[in-house]
Amino acid sequence: MEHLVHPLLLYLACLLGGLGIALALPRPRYKLALIGGLIAAAGGGLVVLMLSLKAYDTDPGALPNVFFYAFAAIALAAGLRVITHHRPVYSALYFILTIIATAGLFLLLSAEFMAFALIIIYAGAILITYLFVIMLATQAPAEGDEELQAEYDTTSREPWVAAGAGFVLLGILTTMMFRGVGELPAPAYEPDSEILAQLPGKVETILTNSDLRDAEDLLADGETLLRETDPETGESLGRLVIARSAEGHAQVIAVDDEGNERRLTLDHEFTPTNIERLGINLLRDHPMTIEIAGIILLMAMLGATVLARKQVEFEEALKAHEQRRLHDAKAEQTGAAEA
Amino acid sequence: MINDALSSLTLAQTGFPDSVAGVTLAHYLSVSAAMFTLGVIGFITRRNLIVMFLCTELMFQAAGIALIAFGRYHLNFDGQTFVIFVLCIAAAEAAMGLALIVLLFRKAESLSAGEWKELQG
Repeated sequence: MEHLVHPLLLYLACLLGGLGIALALPRPRYKLALIGGLIAAAGGGLVVLMLSLKAYDTDPGALPNVFFYAFAAIALAAGLRVITHHRPVYSALYFILTIIATAGLFLLLSAEFMAFALIIIYAGAILITYLFVIMLATQAPAEGDEELQAEYDTTSREPWVAAGAGFVLLGILTTMMFRGVGELPAPAYEPDSEILAQLPGKVETILTNSDLRDAEDLLADGETLLRETDPETGESLGRLVIARSAEGHAQVIAVDDEGNERRLTLDHEFTPTNIERLGINLLRDHPMTIEIAGIILLMAMLGATVLARKQVEFEEALKAHEQRRLHDAKAEQTGAAEA
Repeated sequence: MINDALSSLTLAQTGFPDSVAGVTLAHYLSVSAAMFTLGVIGFITRRNLIVMFLCTELMFQAAGIALIAFGRYHLNFDGQTFVIFVLCIAAAEAAMGLALIVLLFRKAESLSAGEWKELQG
Protein backbone atom coordinates (compact mmCIF):
# COMPACT_ATOMS: atom_id res chain seq x y z
CA MET A 1 0.00 0.00 0.00
CA GLU A 2 1.23 3.48 -0.77
CA HIS A 3 2.44 5.59 2.13
CA LEU A 4 1.75 9.31 2.39
CA VAL A 5 5.12 9.80 4.08
CA HIS A 6 7.93 7.26 3.95
CA PRO A 7 8.02 5.42 7.32
CA LEU A 8 11.76 6.03 7.85
CA LEU A 9 11.30 9.78 7.40
CA LEU A 10 8.35 9.62 9.76
CA TYR A 11 10.48 7.87 12.38
CA LEU A 12 13.19 10.50 11.89
CA ALA A 13 10.61 13.25 12.40
CA CYS A 14 9.35 11.52 15.56
CA LEU A 15 12.94 11.21 16.83
CA LEU A 16 13.51 14.94 16.26
CA GLY A 17 10.21 15.77 17.93
CA GLY A 18 10.95 13.59 20.97
CA LEU A 19 14.47 15.00 21.30
CA GLY A 20 13.15 18.54 21.04
CA ILE A 21 10.45 18.02 23.65
CA ALA A 22 12.79 16.26 26.08
CA LEU A 23 15.13 19.26 25.81
CA ALA A 24 12.34 21.81 26.05
CA LEU A 25 10.75 20.40 29.22
CA PRO A 26 11.52 22.62 32.21
CA ARG A 27 14.72 21.86 34.08
CA PRO A 28 16.29 23.68 36.99
CA ARG A 29 19.44 25.28 35.61
CA TYR A 30 19.70 25.33 31.82
CA LYS A 31 16.87 26.87 29.83
CA LEU A 32 16.80 24.87 26.61
CA ALA A 33 13.20 25.60 25.63
CA LEU A 34 14.16 27.55 22.50
CA ILE A 35 16.62 24.94 21.18
CA GLY A 36 14.20 22.12 21.99
CA GLY A 37 11.34 23.95 20.32
CA LEU A 38 13.42 24.49 17.18
CA ILE A 39 14.38 20.81 17.00
CA ALA A 40 10.73 19.75 17.47
CA ALA A 41 9.67 22.29 14.81
CA ALA A 42 12.26 20.78 12.45
CA GLY A 43 10.59 17.40 12.97
CA GLY A 44 7.17 18.85 12.22
CA GLY A 45 8.53 20.76 9.23
CA LEU A 46 9.96 17.55 7.78
CA VAL A 47 6.52 15.92 7.84
CA VAL A 48 4.88 19.01 6.31
CA LEU A 49 7.53 19.10 3.56
CA MET A 50 7.00 15.44 2.69
CA LEU A 51 3.22 15.91 2.67
CA SER A 52 3.52 18.96 0.39
CA LEU A 53 5.82 17.08 -2.02
CA LYS A 54 3.33 14.23 -2.08
CA ALA A 55 0.47 16.64 -2.78
CA TYR A 56 2.56 18.21 -5.57
CA ASP A 57 3.14 14.78 -7.11
CA THR A 58 -0.56 13.97 -7.26
CA ASP A 59 -1.75 17.39 -8.45
CA PRO A 60 0.94 19.95 -9.38
CA GLY A 61 -1.56 22.75 -9.94
CA ALA A 62 -3.21 22.60 -6.52
CA LEU A 63 -2.49 25.24 -3.92
CA PRO A 64 -0.96 23.99 -0.70
CA ASN A 65 -3.57 23.81 1.99
CA VAL A 66 -2.53 26.90 3.91
CA PHE A 67 -5.35 27.02 6.44
CA PHE A 68 -4.94 23.45 7.62
CA TYR A 69 -1.17 23.71 8.04
CA ALA A 70 -1.38 27.10 9.74
CA PHE A 71 -3.99 26.00 12.29
CA ALA A 72 -2.25 22.68 12.93
CA ALA A 73 1.12 24.41 13.44
CA ILE A 74 -0.34 26.98 15.86
CA ALA A 75 -2.21 24.28 17.80
CA LEU A 76 0.84 22.03 18.17
CA ALA A 77 3.30 24.85 18.94
CA ALA A 78 0.97 26.24 21.62
CA GLY A 79 0.48 22.69 22.94
CA LEU A 80 4.26 22.36 23.23
CA ARG A 81 4.37 25.58 25.24
CA VAL A 82 1.56 24.31 27.50
CA ILE A 83 3.68 21.38 28.63
CA THR A 84 7.04 23.17 28.67
CA HIS A 85 6.30 26.55 30.24
CA HIS A 86 7.41 26.71 33.86
CA ARG A 87 4.68 29.17 34.89
CA PRO A 88 1.21 27.60 35.14
CA VAL A 89 -0.58 30.84 34.19
CA TYR A 90 1.26 30.95 30.87
CA SER A 91 0.50 27.27 30.32
CA ALA A 92 -3.21 28.04 30.68
CA LEU A 93 -2.98 31.03 28.32
CA TYR A 94 -1.17 28.95 25.70
CA PHE A 95 -3.86 26.32 26.10
CA ILE A 96 -6.43 28.96 25.12
CA LEU A 97 -4.39 29.51 21.95
CA THR A 98 -4.48 25.76 21.28
CA ILE A 99 -8.26 25.81 21.65
CA ILE A 100 -8.68 28.69 19.22
CA ALA A 101 -6.48 26.96 16.62
CA THR A 102 -8.47 23.74 17.15
CA ALA A 103 -11.67 25.69 16.55
CA GLY A 104 -10.12 26.74 13.23
CA LEU A 105 -9.56 23.07 12.35
CA PHE A 106 -13.20 22.35 13.26
CA LEU A 107 -14.29 25.10 10.86
CA LEU A 108 -12.28 23.47 8.08
CA LEU A 109 -14.09 20.22 8.89
CA SER A 110 -17.41 22.12 8.47
CA ALA A 111 -18.34 21.76 12.13
CA GLU A 112 -19.25 25.41 12.61
CA PHE A 113 -21.38 25.01 15.71
CA MET A 114 -18.79 22.96 17.55
CA ALA A 115 -16.03 25.44 16.63
CA PHE A 116 -17.81 28.33 18.29
CA ALA A 117 -19.15 26.24 21.17
CA LEU A 118 -15.56 25.18 21.82
CA ILE A 119 -14.37 28.76 22.08
CA ILE A 120 -17.29 29.81 24.27
CA ILE A 121 -17.25 26.83 26.63
CA TYR A 122 -13.55 25.99 26.78
CA ALA A 123 -11.81 29.32 26.38
CA GLY A 124 -14.61 31.27 27.98
CA ALA A 125 -15.61 29.11 30.93
CA ILE A 126 -13.37 26.16 31.74
CA LEU A 127 -10.05 27.92 31.24
CA ILE A 128 -11.21 30.92 33.29
CA THR A 129 -11.90 28.52 36.16
CA TYR A 130 -8.36 27.18 35.74
CA LEU A 131 -6.93 30.68 35.77
CA PHE A 132 -8.85 31.51 38.96
CA VAL A 133 -7.54 28.41 40.72
CA ILE A 134 -3.99 29.05 39.52
CA MET A 135 -4.11 32.59 40.82
CA LEU A 136 -5.67 31.46 44.12
CA ALA A 137 -3.18 28.70 44.69
CA THR A 138 0.16 30.07 43.52
CA GLN A 139 2.17 33.08 44.51
CA ALA A 140 3.70 34.57 41.38
CA PRO A 141 7.30 35.64 41.92
CA ALA A 142 8.48 38.89 40.43
CA GLU A 143 9.45 38.81 36.77
CA GLY A 144 12.84 37.17 36.21
CA ASP A 145 13.06 35.92 39.76
CA GLU A 146 13.52 32.26 38.91
CA GLU A 147 14.83 31.12 42.31
CA LEU A 148 11.57 31.96 44.05
CA GLN A 149 9.56 29.61 41.84
CA ALA A 150 8.34 26.37 43.33
CA GLU A 151 10.67 23.46 42.70
CA TYR A 152 7.84 21.34 41.27
CA ASP A 153 7.29 23.90 38.49
CA THR A 154 10.90 24.16 37.39
CA THR A 155 11.85 20.48 37.44
CA SER A 156 10.19 17.84 35.33
CA ARG A 157 9.99 14.17 36.17
CA GLU A 158 11.84 11.78 33.79
CA PRO A 159 11.75 13.96 30.65
CA TRP A 160 13.76 11.55 28.47
CA VAL A 161 11.77 8.43 29.33
CA ALA A 162 8.43 10.19 28.90
CA ALA A 163 9.37 11.85 25.59
CA GLY A 164 10.80 8.55 24.30
CA ALA A 165 7.68 6.57 25.22
CA GLY A 166 5.37 9.26 23.86
CA PHE A 167 7.07 9.54 20.52
CA VAL A 168 7.36 5.78 20.02
CA LEU A 169 3.57 5.77 20.42
CA LEU A 170 3.24 8.68 17.98
CA GLY A 171 5.52 6.95 15.45
CA ILE A 172 3.44 3.79 15.48
CA LEU A 173 0.14 5.67 15.28
CA THR A 174 1.15 7.93 12.41
CA THR A 175 2.74 5.11 10.40
CA MET A 176 -0.57 3.27 10.57
CA MET A 177 -2.53 6.40 9.65
CA PHE A 178 -0.40 7.41 6.69
CA ARG A 179 -0.84 3.99 5.11
CA GLY A 180 -4.39 4.70 4.06
CA VAL A 181 -5.12 8.05 2.49
CA GLY A 182 -8.81 8.53 3.26
CA GLU A 183 -9.90 11.39 1.03
CA LEU A 184 -12.58 13.47 2.71
CA PRO A 185 -15.61 13.23 0.43
CA ALA A 186 -17.60 16.30 -0.55
CA PRO A 187 -20.27 16.84 2.08
CA ALA A 188 -23.50 15.07 1.20
CA TYR A 189 -25.05 14.30 4.54
CA GLU A 190 -28.58 13.00 5.00
CA PRO A 191 -30.83 14.31 2.20
CA ASP A 192 -32.21 17.76 2.95
CA SER A 193 -35.78 16.55 2.54
CA GLU A 194 -35.49 14.13 5.47
CA ILE A 195 -34.20 16.84 7.79
CA LEU A 196 -36.75 19.37 6.54
CA ALA A 197 -39.56 16.88 7.06
CA GLN A 198 -38.68 17.09 10.75
CA LEU A 199 -38.45 20.86 10.69
CA PRO A 200 -41.93 21.85 9.46
CA GLY A 201 -41.73 25.09 11.41
CA LYS A 202 -38.72 26.26 9.40
CA VAL A 203 -40.39 25.75 6.02
CA GLU A 204 -43.59 27.31 7.27
CA THR A 205 -41.79 30.38 8.59
CA ILE A 206 -39.79 30.97 5.44
CA LEU A 207 -42.89 30.50 3.29
CA THR A 208 -45.04 32.92 5.28
CA ASN A 209 -42.22 35.44 5.68
CA SER A 210 -41.75 35.68 1.93
CA ASP A 211 -45.14 36.66 0.57
CA LEU A 212 -43.81 36.67 -2.94
CA ARG A 213 -42.82 33.04 -2.97
CA ASP A 214 -45.97 32.01 -1.18
CA ALA A 215 -48.43 33.84 -3.40
CA GLU A 216 -46.92 34.03 -6.85
CA ASP A 217 -43.76 31.97 -7.23
CA LEU A 218 -44.93 28.71 -5.84
CA LEU A 219 -48.69 28.51 -5.89
CA ALA A 220 -51.06 28.86 -8.82
CA ASP A 221 -54.66 30.07 -8.48
CA GLY A 222 -56.77 27.91 -6.22
CA GLU A 223 -53.86 25.85 -4.97
CA THR A 224 -53.08 25.28 -1.31
CA LEU A 225 -50.20 23.51 0.34
CA LEU A 226 -50.89 19.94 1.41
CA ARG A 227 -50.91 19.50 5.17
CA GLU A 228 -50.69 16.35 7.20
CA THR A 229 -53.90 14.89 8.56
CA ASP A 230 -54.46 12.59 11.47
CA PRO A 231 -54.88 9.10 9.97
CA GLU A 232 -57.62 8.19 12.49
CA THR A 233 -59.81 11.27 12.78
CA GLY A 234 -59.00 12.88 9.44
CA GLU A 235 -58.43 16.26 11.11
CA SER A 236 -55.70 18.50 9.78
CA LEU A 237 -52.54 18.50 11.89
CA GLY A 238 -51.37 21.74 10.28
CA ARG A 239 -47.93 20.45 9.29
CA LEU A 240 -46.76 20.77 5.72
CA VAL A 241 -46.01 17.54 3.87
CA ILE A 242 -42.37 17.54 2.74
CA ALA A 243 -41.54 15.15 -0.07
CA ARG A 244 -38.33 14.19 -1.79
CA SER A 245 -37.63 14.39 -5.52
CA ALA A 246 -35.78 11.74 -7.48
CA GLU A 247 -32.61 13.87 -7.24
CA GLY A 248 -32.99 14.15 -3.47
CA HIS A 249 -34.24 17.75 -3.36
CA ALA A 250 -36.82 18.71 -0.79
CA GLN A 251 -40.30 19.47 -2.12
CA VAL A 252 -43.61 20.66 -0.76
CA ILE A 253 -46.84 19.43 -2.27
CA ALA A 254 -49.49 21.87 -3.50
CA VAL A 255 -53.07 20.73 -4.14
CA ASP A 256 -55.71 22.60 -6.10
CA ASP A 257 -59.47 22.52 -5.55
CA GLU A 258 -59.96 19.33 -7.55
CA GLY A 259 -57.34 17.53 -5.48
CA ASN A 260 -54.62 17.47 -8.16
CA GLU A 261 -51.15 17.37 -6.64
CA ARG A 262 -48.20 19.42 -7.85
CA ARG A 263 -44.73 19.14 -6.34
CA LEU A 264 -42.77 22.34 -5.74
CA THR A 265 -39.02 22.04 -5.28
CA LEU A 266 -37.62 24.16 -2.44
CA ASP A 267 -34.54 26.20 -3.24
CA HIS A 268 -31.26 26.39 -1.33
CA GLU A 269 -32.68 28.85 1.19
CA PHE A 270 -34.33 25.85 2.79
CA THR A 271 -31.11 23.85 3.16
CA PRO A 272 -30.82 22.79 6.80
CA THR A 273 -27.88 24.45 8.54
CA ASN A 274 -25.13 22.71 10.48
CA ILE A 275 -26.76 23.55 13.80
CA GLU A 276 -30.15 22.17 12.71
CA ARG A 277 -28.61 18.92 11.53
CA LEU A 278 -26.55 18.64 14.72
CA GLY A 279 -29.59 19.33 16.89
CA ILE A 280 -31.63 16.66 15.12
CA ASN A 281 -28.80 14.15 15.45
CA LEU A 282 -28.43 14.98 19.14
CA LEU A 283 -32.10 14.71 20.03
CA ARG A 284 -33.15 11.92 17.68
CA ASP A 285 -30.20 9.53 17.97
CA HIS A 286 -28.69 10.22 21.38
CA PRO A 287 -31.45 11.24 23.83
CA MET A 288 -30.19 8.89 26.56
CA THR A 289 -26.68 10.33 26.37
CA ILE A 290 -28.07 13.79 27.07
CA GLU A 291 -29.64 12.48 30.27
CA ILE A 292 -26.37 10.84 31.31
CA ALA A 293 -24.43 14.03 30.58
CA GLY A 294 -26.94 15.97 32.65
CA ILE A 295 -26.54 13.59 35.59
CA ILE A 296 -22.73 13.77 35.34
CA LEU A 297 -22.80 17.56 35.34
CA LEU A 298 -25.21 17.61 38.29
CA MET A 299 -23.02 15.21 40.26
CA ALA A 300 -19.91 17.27 39.45
CA MET A 301 -21.65 20.42 40.63
CA LEU A 302 -22.81 18.78 43.86
CA GLY A 303 -19.41 17.18 44.39
CA ALA A 304 -17.50 20.42 43.91
CA THR A 305 -19.86 22.25 46.27
CA VAL A 306 -19.60 19.56 48.94
CA LEU A 307 -15.81 19.37 48.68
CA ALA A 308 -15.37 23.10 48.99
CA ARG A 309 -18.03 23.52 51.70
CA LYS A 310 -16.82 20.77 54.02
CA GLN A 311 -13.41 22.32 54.38
CA VAL A 312 -14.83 25.70 55.32
CA GLU A 313 -17.01 24.14 58.02
CA PHE A 314 -14.04 22.18 59.24
CA GLU A 315 -11.88 25.29 59.49
CA GLU A 316 -14.65 27.25 61.16
CA ALA A 317 -15.21 24.48 63.69
CA LEU A 318 -11.47 24.36 64.35
CA LYS A 319 -11.33 28.10 64.91
CA ALA A 320 -14.37 28.04 67.20
CA HIS A 321 -12.82 25.18 69.16
CA GLU A 322 -9.55 27.08 69.49
CA GLN A 323 -11.34 30.20 70.69
CA ARG A 324 -13.36 28.25 73.24
CA ARG A 325 -10.17 26.68 74.61
CA LEU A 326 -8.48 30.06 74.90
CA HIS A 327 -11.57 31.47 76.58
CA ASP A 328 -11.71 28.57 79.06
CA ALA A 329 -8.00 28.90 79.81
CA LYS A 330 -8.42 32.61 80.45
CA ALA A 331 -11.42 31.96 82.69
CA GLU A 332 -9.42 29.39 84.65
CA GLN A 333 -6.53 31.80 85.03
CA THR A 334 -8.75 34.61 86.28
CA GLY A 335 -10.52 32.12 88.56
CA ALA A 336 -7.17 30.98 89.99
CA ALA A 337 -6.04 34.60 90.44
CA GLU A 338 -9.27 35.47 92.28
CA ALA A 339 -8.93 32.43 94.51
CA MET B 1 -16.74 38.63 -10.44
CA ILE B 2 -17.27 39.56 -6.82
CA ASN B 3 -20.01 36.98 -6.55
CA ASP B 4 -17.65 34.32 -7.87
CA ALA B 5 -15.03 35.28 -5.30
CA LEU B 6 -17.62 35.23 -2.52
CA SER B 7 -19.04 31.89 -3.51
CA SER B 8 -15.55 30.34 -3.44
CA LEU B 9 -15.23 31.46 0.19
CA THR B 10 -18.26 29.57 1.46
CA LEU B 11 -17.68 26.79 3.93
CA ALA B 12 -18.04 23.14 3.25
CA GLN B 13 -21.81 23.03 3.60
CA THR B 14 -22.05 24.07 -0.03
CA GLY B 15 -18.74 22.63 -1.22
CA PHE B 16 -15.07 22.93 -0.40
CA PRO B 17 -13.08 25.87 -1.75
CA ASP B 18 -9.98 24.72 -3.60
CA SER B 19 -7.52 25.80 -0.94
CA VAL B 20 -9.21 23.57 1.62
CA ALA B 21 -9.27 20.50 -0.59
CA GLY B 22 -6.37 18.06 -0.70
CA VAL B 23 -6.27 17.42 3.03
CA THR B 24 -7.12 13.85 3.90
CA LEU B 25 -8.39 12.16 7.01
CA ALA B 26 -4.81 11.11 7.79
CA HIS B 27 -3.70 14.75 8.11
CA TYR B 28 -6.27 15.48 10.79
CA LEU B 29 -5.61 12.21 12.60
CA SER B 30 -1.89 12.90 12.70
CA VAL B 31 -2.49 16.35 14.23
CA SER B 32 -4.77 14.67 16.75
CA ALA B 33 -2.18 11.98 17.53
CA ALA B 34 0.60 14.55 17.96
CA MET B 35 -1.54 16.64 20.31
CA PHE B 36 -2.51 13.57 22.32
CA THR B 37 1.18 12.62 22.63
CA LEU B 38 2.00 16.11 23.88
CA GLY B 39 -0.73 15.71 26.50
CA VAL B 40 0.58 12.30 27.62
CA ILE B 41 4.17 13.54 27.88
CA GLY B 42 3.06 16.60 29.83
CA PHE B 43 0.93 14.50 32.17
CA ILE B 44 3.87 12.20 32.94
CA THR B 45 6.59 14.81 33.33
CA ARG B 46 4.98 17.86 34.91
CA ARG B 47 4.67 17.86 38.70
CA ASN B 48 2.26 20.76 39.14
CA LEU B 49 -1.26 19.36 39.63
CA ILE B 50 -2.93 22.18 37.69
CA VAL B 51 -0.62 21.71 34.70
CA MET B 52 -1.30 17.98 34.83
CA PHE B 53 -5.03 18.71 34.57
CA LEU B 54 -4.35 21.09 31.67
CA CYS B 55 -2.56 18.20 29.93
CA THR B 56 -5.66 16.00 30.28
CA GLU B 57 -7.62 18.82 28.65
CA LEU B 58 -5.06 18.75 25.82
CA MET B 59 -5.82 15.05 25.38
CA PHE B 60 -9.58 15.83 25.31
CA GLN B 61 -8.92 18.33 22.52
CA ALA B 62 -7.01 15.72 20.53
CA ALA B 63 -9.89 13.26 20.93
CA GLY B 64 -12.29 15.97 19.76
CA ILE B 65 -10.32 16.59 16.57
CA ALA B 66 -10.27 12.86 15.81
CA LEU B 67 -14.02 12.53 16.47
CA ILE B 68 -14.96 15.42 14.22
CA ALA B 69 -12.57 14.31 11.47
CA PHE B 70 -14.07 10.81 11.50
CA GLY B 71 -17.58 12.25 11.54
CA ARG B 72 -16.67 14.33 8.49
CA TYR B 73 -15.18 11.27 6.79
CA HIS B 74 -18.25 9.12 7.35
CA LEU B 75 -20.58 12.04 6.64
CA ASN B 76 -22.65 11.87 9.78
CA PHE B 77 -23.05 14.04 12.84
CA ASP B 78 -22.30 11.50 15.56
CA GLY B 79 -18.73 12.78 15.82
CA GLN B 80 -19.86 16.34 16.46
CA THR B 81 -22.53 15.15 18.89
CA PHE B 82 -19.93 13.28 20.90
CA VAL B 83 -17.68 16.31 21.05
CA ILE B 84 -20.55 17.98 22.92
CA PHE B 85 -20.40 15.18 25.48
CA VAL B 86 -16.60 15.43 25.62
CA LEU B 87 -17.09 19.10 26.53
CA CYS B 88 -19.55 18.08 29.27
CA ILE B 89 -17.11 15.58 30.74
CA ALA B 90 -14.27 18.11 30.52
CA ALA B 91 -16.37 20.65 32.41
CA ALA B 92 -17.34 18.13 35.08
CA GLU B 93 -13.75 16.95 35.40
CA ALA B 94 -12.46 20.52 35.69
CA ALA B 95 -14.98 21.33 38.44
CA MET B 96 -14.22 18.23 40.51
CA GLY B 97 -10.47 18.24 39.88
CA LEU B 98 -10.05 21.90 40.72
CA ALA B 99 -12.16 21.52 43.89
CA LEU B 100 -9.85 18.69 44.99
CA ILE B 101 -6.77 20.76 44.12
CA VAL B 102 -8.02 23.70 46.17
CA LEU B 103 -8.73 21.31 49.07
CA LEU B 104 -5.21 19.89 48.87
CA PHE B 105 -3.68 23.34 48.58
CA ARG B 106 -5.42 24.43 51.77
CA LYS B 107 -4.06 21.38 53.54
CA ALA B 108 -0.52 21.20 52.16
CA GLU B 109 0.17 24.75 50.88
CA SER B 110 1.66 23.22 47.75
CA LEU B 111 0.50 22.14 44.28
CA SER B 112 3.09 19.39 43.90
CA ALA B 113 1.79 16.00 42.80
CA GLY B 114 4.18 14.49 45.38
CA GLU B 115 1.84 15.68 48.13
CA TRP B 116 -0.59 12.90 47.22
CA LYS B 117 1.95 10.27 48.29
CA GLU B 118 0.36 9.95 51.68
CA LEU B 119 -3.08 8.99 50.38
CA GLN B 120 -4.21 5.66 51.76
CA GLY B 121 -6.28 2.80 50.46
